[in-house]
Amino acid sequence: MKRFREPLFVLLLVFFLQSCAGWAKNKDYHPFDASGLDKLIPGKSSAAQVTEILGAPSEIVKLSNGNAYIYRRSLSKGTGLWLLIVSFGNYDKHYDQIVIFFDTKNIMTHYGVTLDAHKAAHGLPF
Amino acid sequence: MVSPFKIFSFFIYPFIVGSLITGCVSYRVIKAVEGRSVSNIFAEFRVGTTTLQEALEALGAPDQVAELEGKDVLIYQQSLLSNSGLSFGIPLTDIWGPGFDFSAYGELVRYDLVLLSFTPDGILSDIASEKGSRYPYLKTILSDKKGN
Repeated sequence: MKRFREPLFVLLLVFFLQSCAGWAKNKDYHPFDASGLDKLIPGKSSAAQVTEILGAPSEIVKLSNGNAYIYRRSLSKGTGLWLLIVSFGNYDKHYDQIVIFFDTKNIMTHYGVTLDAHKAAHGLPF
Repeated sequence: MVSPFKIFSFFIYPFIVGSLITGCVSYRVIKAVEGRSVSNIFAEFRVGTTTLQEALEALGAPDQVAELEGKDVLIYQQSLLSNSGLSFGIPLTDIWGPGFDFSAYGELVRYDLVLLSFTPDGILSDIASEKGSRYPYLKTILSDKKGN
C-alpha cells in the first residue's frame, strides 16, 4: 500500500496542475421596467402610453386583429471545468419577456409577462 | 532536509506527464439550456373555450408570436443542447508527422415546444406540443431513422 502512495500523489498533482475552471456571464440588456405594467389598463391604454412607460419594443409583430409589441432581454451564465483529460461545459440562458397585444386601433387588449432572467445559473452539465 | 531538486521534481514531472496525457486522450461534455421549461398546464386548455387572456396568465409571455392563415400563434419553447466528444491519439505531429488519431463527436439539440393557435377573437383553436427532452441523448443521436 505504501508503495502506491507516491504515484497516487503524483497523479493527484497532475490533476491539480493541469486543471482550470472558468465562469462567464452575458447580458442582452434592454432597460424596460416590468413594474410599469401596473399603470397600463387592457381596453384603455394606447400603444403610445405603452412605449412611454416601457420604451421602444425589441420587436413588433403583425397579427390577425392588430399587432404585438415584444420586450425581451436575456441573461446567460456559462461554466467551464477542465480536469486533465475530461472537460465539462454548461451554458444557461433565460429571458425576461413582455408581450403586449393591441387591436387595430392600437389599444392594448392583453399582455403576458415572464421574468425568468434571474434564473440563469452557473453549474455543471449533469 | 529535503533536497530542493526532489521538491522540484514533484511539480515538474506531473506537469510533463499531464501535458503528454492531455494530448492523447480527452473527453468533453457540454450542455446548453435556453429558455424556461414549458409548463404542462396547457394540458388543461380546451379548444373553443380557453381564451388568450387565460393562456397568457397561465404560461406567461410567449417566446414567439406570429400570424398564420388569419390566426394568431403563440409559441413557447425551451432548447436543450447536449454535446459530447471523445478523442484518442498520439500527438507526434511535430516530430513524426501525422500520427494515430481517433475522435468521435456528437451534438444534439432537443426542443420542448407548445404551440397555441387563437382566432382573431382570442379563442383557442388549436394546440400542438412536443417534448423533445424525453428522447435520450445517445439513443437519439445514434438513431438512423429517416428524418432523425
